[in-house]
Amino acid sequence: MDQVLQPLLRSLETGSVYALAALGIIIVWRTSLVMHFAQGSMGMFSGTAVAYVLNHWGLPLWQAVLVGVVVAIALGFLVDFAVIRRLKRATAVGKEIITLGLIMVFLGAAPIIFGTDPMLLPKFIPSGDVSLGGANLSYNGILNISVGVLIALGLFFVLQKTKIGLAIRATASSDQTARLMGIPTRRVTLMSWALAGVLGMLAAVMIAPTVTVTPTFMNTVQVAALFACVLGGFQTFYGPVIGAYLIAVAANFLKLYVSSVWGEQLMYLLILVFLLFRPNGLIGKTYLQKV
Amino acid sequence: MTTALSIEHLSISFGGLKALDDLSFAIEENQIYGLIGPNGAGKTTVFNCVTQFYKPDQGRVLFTADPDRLGRWTKKAVPSGDGRAVIDLVGLPVHEIIRFGLVRTFQNVEVVPELTLADNVLLGGHVDFKATMAEQMLRLPRARREEKAYRAKALDVLGFLGIAGLANQPAGGQPYGVLKKLEMARTLMAEPRLIILDEPAAGLNDSETEDLAALIRHIRDQYQAAILLVEHDMRLVMSVCERICAISFGKFLAEGAPADIQRDKLVQEAYLGEQE
Amino acid sequence: MTTATPARTAAPTKGLASRLLHNAHAQFLVFGLLLCLLPSLGSALGLKASTLQTLGFVLIYSIAALGLNLLLGYSGLVSLGTSGFMGLGAYLAAYLQDDLGLGFWCGVLAAVVIPTVVGLLVGVVSLRIRGIYLAIVTLCVSEILLKTFEQLEWFTKGTAGKQSHYPSLFGFQTGRASMFVVCAVALVLVMMLTHNTVHGQLGRALHAMRSSEVAARAMGVNILKYKLFAFALATAYAGLAGALYLFFLKSSYPSTWNLFLSLNVIAMVVVGGLRSIFGTVAGAFIIFAVPELVLKKLPVIGDVSGLPYIFSGILIILVIMFFPQGMKGVADLVRRPFQRRPASGKGAPA
Repeated sequence: MDQVLQPLLRSLETGSVYALAALGIIIVWRTSLVMHFAQGSMGMFSGTAVAYVLNHWGLPLWQAVLVGVVVAIALGFLVDFAVIRRLKRATAVGKEIITLGLIMVFLGAAPIIFGTDPMLLPKFIPSGDVSLGGANLSYNGILNISVGVLIALGLFFVLQKTKIGLAIRATASSDQTARLMGIPTRRVTLMSWALAGVLGMLAAVMIAPTVTVTPTFMNTVQVAALFACVLGGFQTFYGPVIGAYLIAVAANFLKLYVSSVWGEQLMYLLILVFLLFRPNGLIGKTYLQKV
Repeated sequence: MTTALSIEHLSISFGGLKALDDLSFAIEENQIYGLIGPNGAGKTTVFNCVTQFYKPDQGRVLFTADPDRLGRWTKKAVPSGDGRAVIDLVGLPVHEIIRFGLVRTFQNVEVVPELTLADNVLLGGHVDFKATMAEQMLRLPRARREEKAYRAKALDVLGFLGIAGLANQPAGGQPYGVLKKLEMARTLMAEPRLIILDEPAAGLNDSETEDLAALIRHIRDQYQAAILLVEHDMRLVMSVCERICAISFGKFLAEGAPADIQRDKLVQEAYLGEQE
Repeated sequence: MTTATPARTAAPTKGLASRLLHNAHAQFLVFGLLLCLLPSLGSALGLKASTLQTLGFVLIYSIAALGLNLLLGYSGLVSLGTSGFMGLGAYLAAYLQDDLGLGFWCGVLAAVVIPTVVGLLVGVVSLRIRGIYLAIVTLCVSEILLKTFEQLEWFTKGTAGKQSHYPSLFGFQTGRASMFVVCAVALVLVMMLTHNTVHGQLGRALHAMRSSEVAARAMGVNILKYKLFAFALATAYAGLAGALYLFFLKSSYPSTWNLFLSLNVIAMVVVGGLRSIFGTVAGAFIIFAVPELVLKKLPVIGDVSGLPYIFSGILIILVIMFFPQGMKGVADLVRRPFQRRPASGKGAPA
């Protein structure tokens, strides 16, 4: 039993990390039509800021995370103000390449600002675990899973039930129409970049205790989050979240039962095969090209 | 008389809304045929179904082609009595349609601005090239030979339309009238049996429209091609078309000579309320 | 890619020199000749060996960037797999030359063919879906390849690094200077091939695809085929560049073939200008040689490790934001389709 339950619980933990990162990507995609390749590196940057504040200023973790939130929001604002909103006339490809440029900027800037020494980021809850039907789950794991699930649910609630959510959804469905209806689409876009930044930072802080904080520590998360969006489809907000958890579960089980080295790679190949049959993802609608 | 294009019981719906409902009509060879209807009648949908940009839910689009142009689709075609072959276009890839001699123009002129007029016309002969990609990349004799031969043909076509002098100018920045002719030249390059013109009079004034009518007749006479005019502008349709089909809300209204259509009660009703 | 006005427009009355100047292939040959003279001239002029090494890498990266430029410039697709395919080419070249003893030519051939086949498979899967997926899928393929380079020790020697030798060519043992010449010759051949590709029927189809996919399809252009072609060519060029990289440096480490290399190649294309052959080479020089030859020499900030990344990243962003007019190609891609007509209208004769 614990042979299934144990990896499943662990997958939920990584799944939450992927889900937060994927939510950031999909929110930016839906409001600015930008494929956010820099989600991982922006998360890495603000996550490294958290580690830096913790290691060098000696602040407690929760205060360091608050600093991280501020950094993430500031970065999101900066990117939108300085670059994205000046690109209204650019095509999707131009914007996509801009986010690739952002990756390089953040990866280059992180070691300059925070130093080149690898840093460690502790867990929120250092020790202790519960036993669940023969499987163990650490308190920190429970926290991570709940943060992921609660934030996802909270976001869906905001998107579906509040005025801000309506504004975001309206912007997502048609930027022009939304503007005509008096929705401040620029503010919506600005907020979505900041929100994506915070989500990326949280994902970074959650995954950091299992790795060392180096400029590349979010690469796996970035790839997984992008694939979560591909798997779940780009048309809904919840599709990528489902995709994220599925990816985490699949990767964990393949690593455990097929190949510890190639498990993750195998999973990506499986997703590609799946896409051959369902090109628009799990929860995707087909497009009708207008001629 | 042989039928060039026969549309049979064409239906397509988008999200439950019927855009075309059991539409049928036929165009004879060398005929100038008009398809008219008020805004939103489904005119554009018809020829998007003919050229396979949309896949119709029901119906057939039968096109009469020369057997030697069928290529790998020979098996799909049925020989007609007079040595030609009839092929149902439904389900074929969009890029295969031009092969049979069915070419279209675009309402808002789609040419490649960076290419010269001659190169834009050569694009109409894209499927005629036999040289492989490798031959083209290495500029092997066959590729060079073909390029030379087809370029001469493209210049002929430009000459026919009276714009040969601009052959080596880039298409970008040419006046609208030249671009319209260029698009026409591109269709002629493909040795068309049927040309579909999508609202060719859009953006033209009265005298330009008259010139266009003359050009359409000239093309038909010189190139022996049938022409399907999908048009909103009644002046052009009534002056140039030999037969007209009127549709409204995706449904067949009437078919006949221009004078009959003008007198038709249903057509008048359909156009009522429109500013014509 | 626009290198010169078509030879046709040059009036036959003009002199031979002027016609040569307007012939793209002649330009490439002259450029190549100058490059080939560089090693011998350089030693006379006191060009440092390390500078020659840097310039050699510029030539190699130019080849990979020309392929990506074709892909990005004509199909509007981005590949993040350039480094992976380059790495695959490098290891294949080393494996065939050094481990199997099959020599330089077999190594290069395998380095071109095998990545192309892999690329075709990847392309068939992702291009059928949506253009934007190619970037994601190639990113993933690159990660898979990177993992392979680290793990497949019999093939790559893992993180310890694969060592190789200067090849012998036509019975002549090459060295650093002669490998530089080999790279220059390869680059000129690739430039010519690229020029031929983007002119003639093939080039017209690519232009039509970029301008309007709908119109291109109506003209009989099979969009999937041409996108696949552009991607396959980009992969083949990357494989070739990888093989040359290996023979020029005589070693390969997995960490070389990371995402940054792919991003840098994109930066070369964007900075150099879309659909411009000489521009791509200039882009490769700016992105690779300027940090190596200039930035690293600067006081204080020269020692900062992340500086080349920031340099490339900021250049990408600035070029796309502010210099679309300066580089015509960037303008065409970055502007929305509805901006295209008026934009293309200006500057042409009425």
